[in-house]
Amino acid sequence: MKKIVFVLVMALAVISCKTDDKKAEEAKKTVETAEIPFLALGEFDAKAGEFVNKEVKVQGIVDHVCKHSGKKILLVSDEGDIHITAEERFDAALTGSEIAFNGIVVEERIDESYCLKMEEDNIKSHSEGASNEEQFEAKKKHIQSYRDQMIAENTDHISLYTLKYVSHSVVE
Amino acid sequence: MKNLRKWSRILHRDIGFFFIGTTLIYAISGIALNHLSDWNPNYSVENKNFTTEINLENNASVKNNILLLLDEVDNKENYKQHYYPNAQNLKIFLKGGSSIMVNVKNGTGRSEYLKKRLVFYEANYLHYNPNKIWMWFSDIFAGALILFSITSLFMIKGKKGVIGRGGIYLLLGIIIPILFLVYYL
Repeated sequence: MKKIVFVLVMALAVISCKTDDKKAEEAKKTVETAEIPFLALGEFDAKAGEFVNKEVKVQGIVDHVCKHSGKKILLVSDEGDIHITAEERFDAALTGSEIAFNGIVVEERIDESYCLKMEEDNIKSHSEGASNEEQFEAKKKHIQSYRDQMIAENTDHISLYTLKYVSHSVVE
Repeated sequence: MKNLRKWSRILHRDIGFFFIGTTLIYAISGIALNHLSDWNPNYSVENKNFTTEINLENNASVKNNILLLLDEVDNKENYKQHYYPNAQNLKIFLKGGSSIMVNVKNGTGRSEYLKKRLVFYEANYLHYNPNKIWMWFSDIFAGALILFSITSLFMIKGKKGVIGRGGIYLLLGIIIPILFLVYYL
């Protein structure tokens, strides 16, 4: 009888600890979720600089998933758009769905050395037949637009911000 | 040596039969994915142009008007989402990955219908390791390919084997990637 009571008490203690742990975890999760700032897509470019390497939440419609790598998404709204990258492939079925993403803000600095590297890569891939004439010219224009922007803003670099995927949920 | 040759043949033959399906999956999707710049290996794309009189400007009744448009050009049951990339254009997402772009100022539009390519879609899906079970299976397949390479060295004896014509093919198969690396790397 004593043994049965002992086993029951121990079992209750374990269950109670587990429940407490679970509650603590849930509470921690709730606090963490509450602390993650939300950035509207329209204000993302303007505010992302304040959140580099920090987690933020965004929401929008998945315009498309990159068909080459499958690891890049263009998230859009009436106000703006951003790119979200991931280490795993995204499900292409997300296209056209309203999704809330959590992700880490990543800054990419475009400067003259970056433009030169892009130019070199563009010429190399075109000479190897990896890109056609149209793609080659489009990339050239794209690089020139960076240079024009740097001149217009009188700066030596442009900061581009993307989001590194953490998690997502479908908005019904 | 005789025993090694015998077992090489048995393993090469039997495991080879087992992996014929998997080899075809990776070969078909490999060619398809090698040419991503030239085509969409997962979907065939059909474009249709249209014009509409429906007012699709961004206002309170736009959702109803979009459904009216879909009844004209597609089916309103296919509606998924919409947004305005700019003041002039409206993009409507349909179920199944298709979409419609409409110029709300002049009513001209273009539908892009995606249709899954039979066999290619499924083969490409598997090629990209959709989950851990397939990842382990494809690792076993990769191991089998290594086994095929090794067993092929011992299967045939004489002038058609590795010390004869087979050896020349073996060297050529190694030299070609090395030359490529020397030239491009």
